[in-house]
Amino acid sequence: MPIRKFRSVEEMTPLPDRRPFDPENLRLAIAWSHAAMALHPVKRTPGVHKYRSYEDMKARDQRRSSGSSVSE
Amino acid sequence: MLPRIMELEAALKILAAFDRERVEYVLVGSMGMAVLGVIRATRDIDVFIAPDEANVARLRRALTSVFDDPSIDEITSADLSGDYPAIQYAPPSGDFSIDLLARLGERFRFDEIEWQEVTIDGIRVRVATPRMLYRMKRDTVRPQDKLDASALRDRFELEDE
Repeated sequence: MPIRKFRSVEEMTPLPDRRPFDPENLRLAIAWSHAAMALHPVKRTPGVHKYRSYEDMKARDQRRSSGSSVSE
Repeated sequence: MLPRIMELEAALKILAAFDRERVEYVLVGSMGMAVLGVIRATRDIDVFIAPDEANVARLRRALTSVFDDPSIDEITSADLSGDYPAIQYAPPSGDFSIDLLARLGERFRFDEIEWQEVTIDGIRVRVATPRMLYRMKRDTVRPQDKLDASALRDRFELEDE
């Protein structure tokens, strides 16, 4: 994906829609994730963790993410 | 040096192992959205899993073939079918997690998930349909999910039911 430059945020146009099922989509998502992790590294605690709901699991992730910039 | 996270190789290895072991699963969450072309950063791979004993055994075999980690044996059908329908597995590196769901609230169970199969780099991948992902995202409480639901609705011109 080429670099695009703008003089202000207001001038920025959204990225064009990606074609569904393009194998490149997964690569892009992982590249973005890589960049996000570099800016704000959060380690998961290795192993199996059990939750009574999806919301409980994601709330735990959120606390981990906002509570530490390196690891638990 | 940038930290390693969910490298493409690892993500594809997991999906390939699911395919090889015939795991009954559906890719949902942000990775499912990414396959559909709606891309954002993430730190996890969310999958819906059929929680029956045979399938969870296949799931354990698949994960063990990618990660040599005895803790994988702690993932059980009894938990997923019972009091713990959400199980998070973080590999030893701790760089990302695989979030396993057997049900989402009272509204979504594995058998009710609409999915389609696509082939990515030669690997068959079961991914939730845009409408299904939208419904799942719309009905949860996280702000991020609301944003995801909005992006899906706009991208696929979905309407509320």
